[in-house]
Amino acid sequence: MLYDIALTIGYDYDTPASGARHILRVLPLSIPGRQRLIAGSVKVSPEPDEKSSLTDFFGNPTTAIMYRSQHGTLEIRMQARVQVDQVEPVADFSPLVGKLQAELEAVWSMDGDSPHHLAGPSPRLADNVEIAAYARAMIKPGMTVREAAYEICKRVYTDFKYDPEATTVDSTPQEAFKMKRGVCQDFSHVMIVALRSLGIPAGYVSGFLRTIPPPGKERLEGADAMHAWVRVWCGESLGYIELDPTNNIVAGTDHIVVAYGRDYSDVAPVIGVLKSYGSHSTRQAVDVIPLKN
Amino acid sequence: MAKVPATERKTEAKTAPPDASATLSYRAIPGVADEMLDTAGNVRPVWQPMLAALGRMSAHERGERFARADRYLRDAGVFYRAYGAQGSAERPWPISHVPVLIAEKEWEALAEGLKQRAELLETVVADIYGANDLVREGFIPPALIASNPEFLRPLVGVAPPGGHYLHFCSFEIGRGPDGNWWVLADRTQAPSGAGFALENRVATARAFSDIYAESHVHRLASFFGAFRNALQACKKTADDRIAVLTPGPANETYFEHAYIARYLGFMLLEGEDLAVVNNRVMVRTVSGLKPVSVLWRRLDAAYSDPLELNQNSHIGTPGLTQAVRAGNVTMVNALGSGILETRALLAFLPTLCRKLLGEELKLPSIATWWCGQPAEREHVTRNIDRMVIGPAYSCLPFFDDHGQSVLGSTLRRNAKTSMTEWLASDGARLVGQEAVTLSTTPAFIDGKLTPRPMSLRVFAARTADGWQIMPGGFARIGAGDNVAAIAMQSGGMAADVWIVSNKPVEVTTLLPPEQEFARNLPGALPSRAADNLFWLGRYIERAEGALRILRAWHARFAENADPTQPLLAYVSAYLADVDIDSKEGVPASLLGNIDSAVYSASNIRDRFSPDGWLALNDLAKTARRFHEKVQPGDDASHAMTILLRKLAGFAGLVHENMYRFTGWRFLTIGRMLERGLHMTRLLGHMSKEDTPDGALDMLLEIGDSVMTHRRRYNVSTARLTVTDLLALDPLNPRSILFQMNEIRQEVEQLPQAFVNGQMSPFYREAMRMQANLAVMTPDAMNAAVYRQLEQDLEHLSDILAQTYLS
Repeated sequence: MLYDIALTIGYDYDTPASGARHILRVLPLSIPGRQRLIAGSVKVSPEPDEKSSLTDFFGNPTTAIMYRSQHGTLEIRMQARVQVDQVEPVADFSPLVGKLQAELEAVWSMDGDSPHHLAGPSPRLADNVEIAAYARAMIKPGMTVREAAYEICKRVYTDFKYDPEATTVDSTPQEAFKMKRGVCQDFSHVMIVALRSLGIPAGYVSGFLRTIPPPGKERLEGADAMHAWVRVWCGESLGYIELDPTNNIVAGTDHIVVAYGRDYSDVAPVIGVLKSYGSHSTRQAVDVIPLKN
Repeated sequence: MAKVPATERKTEAKTAPPDASATLSYRAIPGVADEMLDTAGNVRPVWQPMLAALGRMSAHERGERFARADRYLRDAGVFYRAYGAQGSAERPWPISHVPVLIAEKEWEALAEGLKQRAELLETVVADIYGANDLVREGFIPPALIASNPEFLRPLVGVAPPGGHYLHFCSFEIGRGPDGNWWVLADRTQAPSGAGFALENRVATARAFSDIYAESHVHRLASFFGAFRNALQACKKTADDRIAVLTPGPANETYFEHAYIARYLGFMLLEGEDLAVVNNRVMVRTVSGLKPVSVLWRRLDAAYSDPLELNQNSHIGTPGLTQAVRAGNVTMVNALGSGILETRALLAFLPTLCRKLLGEELKLPSIATWWCGQPAEREHVTRNIDRMVIGPAYSCLPFFDDHGQSVLGSTLRRNAKTSMTEWLASDGARLVGQEAVTLSTTPAFIDGKLTPRPMSLRVFAARTADGWQIMPGGFARIGAGDNVAAIAMQSGGMAADVWIVSNKPVEVTTLLPPEQEFARNLPGALPSRAADNLFWLGRYIERAEGALRILRAWHARFAENADPTQPLLAYVSAYLADVDIDSKEGVPASLLGNIDSAVYSASNIRDRFSPDGWLALNDLAKTARRFHEKVQPGDDASHAMTILLRKLAGFAGLVHENMYRFTGWRFLTIGRMLERGLHMTRLLGHMSKEDTPDGALDMLLEIGDSVMTHRRRYNVSTARLTVTDLLALDPLNPRSILFQMNEIRQEVEQLPQAFVNGQMSPFYREAMRMQANLAVMTPDAMNAAVYRQLEQDLEHLSDILAQTYLS
């Protein structure tokens, strides 16, 4: 599948911002055997005083920008052409849930891809007893890790209502869990906390979702903004799988990965610090245009 | 006993008998090691002179000596901030006056062990953020690092400039029942206490000046000197600055940050003082941005950069990580080295030492088992009665972690069962540590020398000659007599530690030898410090202005207690405009101004003499007390006089003692500007046509110019003479023109007064205002002129802020 993707994120400040510094994670990744970034660019206006690129700990490309002078608006535009390949389904080689810990302990690695980073609490995702109990109740004897992950994905999808008004970007998984409402970020956060409570390493994926619905089907939720889903470590043999709890599907050729992390704070498209009075308004526009299959 | 500072001993000997019983009753606790007594109950040789001296003292003399130490600490303003249910408060430093004495020979062995440990920790942290062989080869479980909040991923692969992660560490050590020393915790994040150790030393030496002089005690100054030189050597260029980076006055050890900065001559900065420009760290000063290339960090690493580290931090510097990555700033210690404090890591150090240094750990850690491993978990479960169980990733020592750890032996049977289950289900997050019994050291409790449990904090610094261990440190003394280490949680004391040689020790000071004398000008003033000085000046003057008006008001109210009489009502209306309620004895808004002055001063403690600080706090305390009880009228008028006198005491200390440089100028401009505003508003209000009788006399009284007026003008008070004296007389220190002249003079001396040979907008404005006023005549001064003047002064404050303070 070949896509042209365009993303625009804009900020309008009530009073001009000064001393602004941002880190951007908006460019799709290249993942051998799955996804290839053919061409991509990140443009910001006004022209920043400093700009640099870096690959972060988890392997995501980032752009750092800095403004010394004041500015009233900021616009970030990303354009990319990405080839996404169909990954053939594989049999379930994952161990029983109770056996995963031993496999995890056998991984002596601290690389960005190591499941150890996704096993414990992370900046936005503390342990939570209610979500842990919710997860525990779904596990039946003899379940494999992948079966457990599918089950949690399905349950989050059915138990939660997609509701952009219910939560904000700063909401915690506990809040979303209490209301059983939220958006892709909340669905993913809840699912990650649930998986980790069972000892299953799980992380956050930010990316894009194809916008044109397949004929005769409904439009997929979350298609008009950046999307988020979950990455699950299923043991040594199976490795990582990616599940989308907002749509209850396995992430396939409709999902284009931008960044991997422990939770939203690792992969937020724009992180920024600036001085300004009053508030600001934000807009985001995403176009994912399939060129050919 | 040749060098007896004899006065005390002789006179005391005549007047009071020695209080020998206070020391004779000292007995060690059975089964517990004691610092003063050996296992046979004999006094260790190194303690004998001290014990003998204590035994010779009368209770009175001892009290006098201890009072000397307390007085020193109080006068020096030594405090720490204690957090409790009632918020936080500054507490006096709790000193236990009897130092802990350790023989040089024993210390040398300890120091060797600690040097090895510092080197080991450096090698470990370099691997964690570098090659990561230790995890790959199975020496450190990955979970211990990956789930650790102190593992800062943005720093992975970033080699520190100069190649070293650690420059300054401290170790919490204790002596076990067998007499050997154990390391209880390693501090690598932002070790505190070195400054307190210095202050303990000065205070204790005051109390025991004679014994100290005779005892061949190793001095502390050379340790700090060597470390200062080492930091100087880390600078990229000679022009760069070295700064102590503090979280700010709300931090519990802020006093120490200010003290260390002052002692070593470094800047004291907060995160917002710094800006990162082209990957270089710069300090915002009133002379523009100046490069900083060494930061001695007293701020936890995660909080130092809200962009790449903890995004919720409000005390960091955005972009700092980028500057670190570019190799442009030496962090003491490197961001991320806090991971070495992880309690569970203690379990792995013996193996790591063998692997990395090829030798055994010279100084053992307290026995620790990480319960993420089955065999270790089993061991802890089996021996739970001898264990302290606590969080594996905690960076606090088990006896000081706010109750997060529990002593296995104190658990009831059913709690023990649940503990076992907890260990089984959540072992990776728990450690078991042997519940060691600490040694005791003598402390005076209720007039008796009494054994109290203690641990030592010892400091290590990387210098040109490798790691140096501070010969001394500070001892933490437990509050009760429970020697289980866990009892040392709160209410403890601190004591000095003397390393005693049997031959004379080298005495050094931090002052350079005389031939190297150079007169260094103070460095550029950080903008935030200038801001605080400016506002300190304004708040103090605002308080004084209010006090003067209120004193005059209450004096008249005392004569005729009718607030509706025209003059009082007229002034009350004016006061109401500036949020002061004349009906209160000492109004709340006045307290507000004084508290704001104290707050501004608290942000610049490193630039303040302890005398000035105490005077200001005394003023605030007195004002609060008066606010509670003072009644309007005579009582209030009298209270205002006392407060004015105290305020003058503070102003006098500042005026007499403050170095006349940039900081002084901002303080002075703040005062003059506020005084000018005060007089402008008053004159504007009170010299109107319809002012009640007595207004002009009251005005003169508020302006402290009654006598001058009598002497200079042979007429009774009239609008023109009062205006002449209070607005336009250049010799009257209360007149508006006087303030304008002073401001102009100070502004001329400020950095950037001239830009490319041109007057700066700020200087131009100050000059214009001064000139305009200087040519005015009394009859031309009307309400409109005062209004314009008031606006101009406010405008001057705004451009000062734009030019220097942002």
